[in-house]
Amino acid sequence: MSLRISGMGWVTPLGSGVSAVWERLLAGDEAHAETVPSALQTLDYSAFRVPPDALATAPAHPRLRRSSAISRFAVVAGLGALADAQIKLDAASAERTAIIFAISNGGVVYTKRFYHEVVEAGAQAASPLLFPETVFNAPASHLAAILGITGASYTLVGDGAVGLLALKMAEDLMQSEALDRCLVVGAEEADWLLCDAFHRWRLLRAAPPIEVFSPRSRGIVLSEGAGAVVVDRTGPTAIEKIDAGSNFSRQSEAVARVKETFHRLRATHRDLVIASANGTFVDNAEAAAIREHCPRARVYAPKAALGEGVGSGGLWQVICAAQALRTKQLPPIPHLEKDNVLHLSGGVQHDLKVDRALVSTCGLSQQVAGLTLRQA
Amino acid sequence: MADSKLPISSAGKARVAIVAAGVISPLGAGLEETVRSLRAGRDCVTPVERFSTEHTRCKTAGEISDGQLERAGATRRTRRLHRVARMTIAALEEALAQVPGFAPELTIVGTTSGGMTFGEEYYRSLHGRRSLRHAPSLIANYTPQKPIMDAQEALGISAPCQVIANACASGTNAIGHAFDCIRSGRYQRILTGGYDAISELVFVGFDSLQAATPEKCRPFDRARTGMVLGEGAAFLALENYESAEARGAEILGEVIGYGISTDNHHLTQPNPSGSGARQAMQKALESAGLCASEIDYINAHGTATPFNDAAEGKAITELFGQVPVSSTKGMMGHSLGAAGAIEGVISLLALREQILPPNINFRQTDESLDLNIVGNESRSAKIRTVLSNSFGFGGTNASIILRHG
Repeated sequence: MSLRISGMGWVTPLGSGVSAVWERLLAGDEAHAETVPSALQTLDYSAFRVPPDALATAPAHPRLRRSSAISRFAVVAGLGALADAQIKLDAASAERTAIIFAISNGGVVYTKRFYHEVVEAGAQAASPLLFPETVFNAPASHLAAILGITGASYTLVGDGAVGLLALKMAEDLMQSEALDRCLVVGAEEADWLLCDAFHRWRLLRAAPPIEVFSPRSRGIVLSEGAGAVVVDRTGPTAIEKIDAGSNFSRQSEAVARVKETFHRLRATHRDLVIASANGTFVDNAEAAAIREHCPRARVYAPKAALGEGVGSGGLWQVICAAQALRTKQLPPIPHLEKDNVLHLSGGVQHDLKVDRALVSTCGLSQQVAGLTLRQA
Repeated sequence: MADSKLPISSAGKARVAIVAAGVISPLGAGLEETVRSLRAGRDCVTPVERFSTEHTRCKTAGEISDGQLERAGATRRTRRLHRVARMTIAALEEALAQVPGFAPELTIVGTTSGGMTFGEEYYRSLHGRRSLRHAPSLIANYTPQKPIMDAQEALGISAPCQVIANACASGTNAIGHAFDCIRSGRYQRILTGGYDAISELVFVGFDSLQAATPEKCRPFDRARTGMVLGEGAAFLALENYESAEARGAEILGEVIGYGISTDNHHLTQPNPSGSGARQAMQKALESAGLCASEIDYINAHGTATPFNDAAEGKAITELFGQVPVSSTKGMMGHSLGAAGAIEGVISLLALREQILPPNINFRQTDESLDLNIVGNESRSAKIRTVLSNSFGFGGTNASIILRHG
């Protein structure tokens, strides 16, 4: 069965809406970092935040009154994807629609606030209003309530590969004739605590830029937002193959795992590769796989401009792949080193002669996945 | 009671065999200890030892002791892992010992918080300006997916992992989705289950909602006052029935039905009508091609909170009438993402042993529910099919149906 992407929605630090964000990427824009101050008066960090006007289309729904930012990102992206697919859900069609949510750190802002109050003032200070929003599936629940979805809703947790694992789950769920479509959403919110965690894990860079495929791994800058795609049986972009990949336990094993994924996806030099390179060991793993399987393939790495969106990152890559296939254009990669051996470009590319895109995701928590898309 | 044959046929789809199972919970380490506890109706809920409960209403939980974990097997290498990873390894190891060479194409697990206590330790160190020397290890090992990745590495499994975090329904969702995957013919072998360990953050959270009780956990009792938390891990090895039969595997049982629904009533409370629970159970029946009268026992979600038990009880009564029902959470607490997997294994053991596990601490019938509760003591019974429920925050509802092999 050939599955298609019939609609996409995008919320990023460069704004929201697929066409609008894509135009900004083509123009060479990159997200601006903000200082994320520490509540604990230790180190301050930089992160790419979603601007408030990117959420202007969020519905005034009671479920969003107290929800965290991650839920609002997800709702705006999810509604955007359905609108792009020209789908208006009613009770009957909502019953035949599943939600699959990809998440990494979840509602970290509220989780930190909730536990901070417990640590500061004791268990008696714990907030019953905050606790429910700390649960990983709270954003999916809000989205289901807003859309009236009463059937299947799954939240998957993982790292930067989780978005592709969610698409794999959508592929499995779509075997059922009881489903017409899956709305797959990946979302993440940035917080000081996450920045500190990645810093202590030696994966964070104190401030931009993110330099992808650089010989020196200088680290990520965290980002936030959401990506959503409608997985359907008709639509302009075909999902050719999804590889649910594998895990690795040491960073040194990443090269072998990513190469295996490229092999299973039968990468060729005619492909466009949308990489998850983010200024860490991931770049080395993907560069090695590209050199071995498709050294002349064009490569784009959106995290250089958008930041490391973790749970949303995989779907952001998928959106870039679909947009490149649709528009035959590819945005420039900022801050490239001149002597890079891969087929990367610091300038915008027009009249792209590719009809297949390979999306590679290698997560920082050591999950790997990939997929190929083809223009239908 | 709905008693007509339901419209959707299960014909023409692959059968799904359970070829191995493993479990660790407050009821015991392994299938045999668990059976003994179920038969005896052991109350394994004890005062919490892992953190202070001075300022919480609830003071008890079903905990797995360090000694129990040691006995379940801990190598020098696994001792550095989070306790939930060690629980995961123990349960998975028991299951895989029954099927040497089992090579899953996919692993699907449920959890809610993974190694959350490592996250707590990191935050407390930051807050208290204590040494953060161990922070990288705490951060790398607290993520929800890490325990299954650690367990797979320890046991030499390389399958990709899908980690479902659908709150308290996660474990049942994992088994149900694995069932659907094999049933569709796309997969031959899947490992599935769930894990969760008690953490202060989650304990205090349920306490703040007044969902946790300072008294005994009394599911479906008229005077029920809430839940107690638990912890553990459980796994099932699922295989295409024909393939398992062809290689002469011992078939412990079958998963024959799965239903999932989303109740949009409220983030933390079910629709009082029980419609969400009813929809999940009804879909499981449809998926199994059974009518309600063909279910011999229901292992209920039964958290003992007034609202949840009322909604679930209403749905069970409307659909099934007087089928025997028990919640095993009074014995071991509610292990959240692991609950559905542990209760899946308990349902399998109920089929194997032909017993109805008891609903302990049961004193007074709730007349508004009209349920046939298996009160306080286990009973022998002829059972061929079991339905197991799990319902969670976010309105996620899941039901699976198992059949005797």
